Amino acid sequence: MARTRRSLRRWGAAGLATVIAAVIPVTVAASNAQAIEQDGKYILKVGVLQPVDNLNPFKGITAAAYEAWALMYDTLTGYGKDFSAEPRLAESWEESEDGLTWTYNLVEGVNFSDGEPLTADDVVYTFNRIIEGESNEQTNYGSYVKNMESVKAIDDATVEFTLTEPTPIMTKLAVPILPEHIWSELDADELRDYTNSPDSDPPGGVGSGPFVLDEAVKGQYWTFTANPDYWGGAPKIDGVEYRVYRDANGMVTALNNGEIDFADDIDANLFSTLEGKDNIATNAAEYYGWSYITFNGGAQLTDGTPIGTGHPSLEDPIVREAINWAVDKQALINTNLEGYGSQGSSFMPPIYADQHYEPEDPIGYDVELANQMLDDAGYAKGPDGIRTMPDGSNPLDFELFSRQESKTSQTTIELLQGWLKEIGIESSAETVSEGRLYAIAGEGTFDMYEWGWVTEPDPDYQASTFTCDQFSYETKGGQIYGGLNDSFYCDPEYDELYAQQAVETDPAARTEIVKELQQMVYEANAYIIPYYYDYLQAWRTDRFTGFEHQPEPDGAVLFQYGTFSYLNVEPVTDASGGDSDSSSNTALIVGGVAAAAVLAGVVVFLISRGRRSGEADME
Amino acid sequence: MSVETAPMQVLSSRAIARQRRVRSTKRFVEAFAQHKSGVLGVVMLLVFVVLGLLAPVLFPAEMIEPINTVNNPRMASPSAEFWLGTDELGRSVLALLVWAIRPSLIVGISASIIAMILGTLLGISSGHFRNWFGALCERLTDWFLVIPFLPLVIVLAAVFGQQGDWILIVVLGITAWPGTARLVRAQTLSVEGRPYIERAKVLGNSDWKQMSRHVLPNVMPLVIANTTLTVAIVILSQTTLAFIGLTDPNSVNWGSMLDNASASGAPLRGAWWYLLPPGICVILVVLAFTLIGRALEVVLNPRLGSE
Amino acid sequence: MSEPAEAIAADVGSDPALERRVRDTRRAGGLGRFILRRSLTGLGTLLFVLAFNFVLFQLLPGDPAARYRGVRDISAEAIAKLREELNAPLWDQFINYIKDPLSLDALSTFSGESVWSTIFGSLWPTVVLLGTATLVATIVGVWIGIKAGWNRGSKFDKASTGVTLLLYATPEFWLGLLLIMLFSTGVGPFPALFPSGTIKDAGIDALSIEGVINIAYHTVLPATALALVYLADYSLIMRASIVDELGQDYLTTARAKGLMDYQIRRRHAVPNASLPTITLIFLSFGFIIGGAITVETVFSYPGLGLLSVEAIGTQDLPLLQALFLFTSAAVILFNIIADVTIALVDPRIRV
Repeated sequence: MARTRRSLRRWGAAGLATVIAAVIPVTVAASNAQAIEQDGKYILKVGVLQPVDNLNPFKGITAAAYEAWALMYDTLTGYGKDFSAEPRLAESWEESEDGLTWTYNLVEGVNFSDGEPLTADDVVYTFNRIIEGESNEQTNYGSYVKNMESVKAIDDATVEFTLTEPTPIMTKLAVPILPEHIWSELDADELRDYTNSPDSDPPGGVGSGPFVLDEAVKGQYWTFTANPDYWGGAPKIDGVEYRVYRDANGMVTALNNGEIDFADDIDANLFSTLEGKDNIATNAAEYYGWSYITFNGGAQLTDGTPIGTGHPSLEDPIVREAINWAVDKQALINTNLEGYGSQGSSFMPPIYADQHYEPEDPIGYDVELANQMLDDAGYAKGPDGIRTMPDGSNPLDFELFSRQESKTSQTTIELLQGWLKEIGIESSAETVSEGRLYAIAGEGTFDMYEWGWVTEPDPDYQASTFTCDQFSYETKGGQIYGGLNDSFYCDPEYDELYAQQAVETDPAARTEIVKELQQMVYEANAYIIPYYYDYLQAWRTDRFTGFEHQPEPDGAVLFQYGTFSYLNVEPVTDASGGDSDSSSNTALIVGGVAAAAVLAGVVVFLISRGRRSGEADME
Repeated sequence: MSVETAPMQVLSSRAIARQRRVRSTKRFVEAFAQHKSGVLGVVMLLVFVVLGLLAPVLFPAEMIEPINTVNNPRMASPSAEFWLGTDELGRSVLALLVWAIRPSLIVGISASIIAMILGTLLGISSGHFRNWFGALCERLTDWFLVIPFLPLVIVLAAVFGQQGDWILIVVLGITAWPGTARLVRAQTLSVEGRPYIERAKVLGNSDWKQMSRHVLPNVMPLVIANTTLTVAIVILSQTTLAFIGLTDPNSVNWGSMLDNASASGAPLRGAWWYLLPPGICVILVVLAFTLIGRALEVVLNPRLGSE
Repeated sequence: MSEPAEAIAADVGSDPALERRVRDTRRAGGLGRFILRRSLTGLGTLLFVLAFNFVLFQLLPGDPAARYRGVRDISAEAIAKLREELNAPLWDQFINYIKDPLSLDALSTFSGESVWSTIFGSLWPTVVLLGTATLVATIVGVWIGIKAGWNRGSKFDKASTGVTLLLYATPEFWLGLLLIMLFSTGVGPFPALFPSGTIKDAGIDALSIEGVINIAYHTVLPATALALVYLADYSLIMRASIVDELGQDYLTTARAKGLMDYQIRRRHAVPNASLPTITLIFLSFGFIIGGAITVETVFSYPGLGLLSVEAIGTQDLPLLQALFLFTSAAVILFNIIADVTIALVDPRIRV
């Protein structure tokens, strides 16, 4: 009996070992054979950290959403690789002598994905919808139609805009052209709720762009199939997929495993683990994105009613400048970016070389100077080392916020707390979701927080965030919503200059004004901009090739102002690469079933053995 | 009980009681010492307590202040200077580990004491009072037992949590009491079935006297054992909450260390020195309390003595 | 021969309530009536939970309507109406709540969609994950518990008790992180074998064979992290039950009758010890949930746990409230199942 039992045990162990030995290669094979091909199609799988929050071009706000719209829709004009204006749907245009009439000639023979032709009427409809619209339509595109008086179709392929003032934005009309026959069925309320997805009514995702929306699983993934009849030339791949990862760890692991082909916006500390890896290309692109720390410089509504709980000391520009001196920006670049970035200053990043304002005496890191400034300004330290207002009241104790979605945001605020302490300012910090922070910012119930901006090539939008009429506003229902101005910086002179640049069509003159705007904001320390960060991307070189940089040679390859890569990328044809996926799937199935069977057998063994071994295992 | 041939002394009842207590304490300690696992638990716990108390001495507070460490090598593997390497802000992992002992132990023990007090009160009441009040306590206990612990803690912590450890202690305390209450109720019922209690009732002792003089001392030993086990659960819950981000972000504890490690890509960078130690510390402390609790249970409850 | 009900009570940690319930059954007579009574009690508990839910969320600070601000798809009028409702006198609110306690059309403050459809959408991944983990943990844990309890004091017993105590003290998410580091990233000694996130790849139909395998593949690591800790709990319970059972008189009698050990074990000890174990396994459902929440977060597994964590992040109180209600109801349900299972399985009770 004993001999039988021992050999049973040996067989059991052998069985288990066989199972493990069999399962491993099958799963490894499965993961690698996780096809470049899927059902014979080449899909570019892109990992992203933020979801497409809304496929409706009027409602979405995330970068992924903008990227999705770029796949689905066309614009009249676009940006070239060097950010200069380029024709898109409008293959040419003319400006009248007085600059008030613009005529665009459309590419002919363009169709929407449902077969309906795209004509000038659709262009007219799209712009009129925005012009006549309210907050729903205007939030994302209002800045483009500010000076438009009317839009009309001259014929099927010609559109004429009439302006109230000349404006430089007419060569940068980044407005997706929507099909009239779909969107005219939605009134303002319906438009607000319209998700523009495959199961919407009317059907969503109808566009003229190089890719057509296929599947949308909210919060998880979005798939697009190539439009073979695209007027700009059919893409060389069959589809694109955006897949959301909760954190960069998962995304980078997925890239390593081959689950995705491209990883976007990688954290700096993970990026370094990818460099030099086989089959992986990494790109650190100089970028137009930057992090900032904002102050509650006096939260108000647009009508002047004060709101929120900001500390009064922050309305004093000297206090803001002192705090700026106390922030070790290089340390932030080292910790948050692992060096992938450059010191920040003004709101047009240096990648837009002709627009960027470089201060002559940048504010560096000098704690002593900061303390001195505050002492001189009368914010004396109390007995506990915490400063108070010059009259001795209201100790400087700030409420800081960081964003849950971003570890670097939390690090910045954590370090900021330490630096504030060094200049005699107490603080408490809270980590909140971006949605909540948006509401907090609007209500002004903060002292400082960290966020970021990604700046368009055209400075108008970014400059508008410092104007007085971008303060918070109150709706009829008594709700307070935030505008774009989250520093509550307001200067009538600034607003005047801003209005000027909006109608200045001479590029050189306009740039002068824009630089002056930046200088004003910089010297008022409305924001602290610690750094411009590099955009870190990585992709597998054994899957797809043909990624295009904007700008050359090492700018971002996806999430650009344009769809260069999507139109140019093609699969790597490799003789030794994956076989037809049907056989790999079969192997997977067979392996899986076999493994399950053996595992079941082993379990049965163990249980029956357990019962019988009682005899020998007597106490 | 041994037959003692002590000299005939007329001692006051209080002196007798004291003598009895001293003797039973000694007996208890001897019995406890027999359980090697329990002793191991006590030793482990002592090590942690001592280290926790010595934290500011071994690792001065400035060492874990991020603005001081930002320029150290970040997430560096162990070296002569940093025995367990550094975290993403350049702080010594070993220093953080030792500093994390305090919040864990303080929160764990305080919350469990609150749970013990609440649980005992409600348990005795539901066991003792045969009227509507007792029934209410019993119903309350049963109902709260049903409510899943962690989701409730999460909801409460989600709203109150980031405001400091005290809120956390209260939240954990008021969610952990049902287990103790149920145990106490069972014990109360069992104790009250004993003859001398009947006699006390007949003699006209008030409810309060009965509960405090007779039931409570009999119940306490088991309650203490149970509370020790509760500490283990509370510490695990606290770690979980910290990992999800529901505790005070400025307080360093093992759960938040793991949260930071995960968010900074430690698994991907193979930073085992950052991932392993906090988890191991949690395991050891929880294990210590579990071992002590199990040993106490056995020593104090003769029915389980077959183990 | 000891009363069977007391035997069970002894194992179930002196639970007079259970004891009473079981005795009540025999007095009232009949399985059907037992189930009915038990369900009614459960319903009562559910009502309490509903009331508790209401009170809990009334206590929370802040302007309730303000929480909806983040949703860009809710009109100002809808918010104004909500604010009116939410700031109405407490009694009116309570009446409204009673009328519609499940708040069937409550909206999530983050997505603007119905909370219940969100919950049911995220339900199946959690079921898959917990189901797998619990199944594996039960099989392995029970086996270990039996073997250890039966051979009390043996090397196996000492070793397994030590290991299970260690596992019991382990946070599940930490195991998850380690598993990711070891088996998913490829930075350690093992190659990258398993994925570290999500439940399945896009474009694969969940209900196809390929889909099922894909899901299984993604579930291996998270289920392992959970199962290791669960099995520790089950094993300890089972062992304690067996040890207790071993002291029973009837077993001595059986041995005296000449029955072999394994026969005793198979026919008497294990089945009798199983009852409280099954009960406790169902009762520890509350304990299971906690682990699921963190493990789903670590593995980005799109189930209820991840949903809870996201709801916390966005302070989506309607969703949190609904989740809380849902989990409580599930726990109540499992408690009922546990009691009914005992009644069903133990022939001594039914008669």
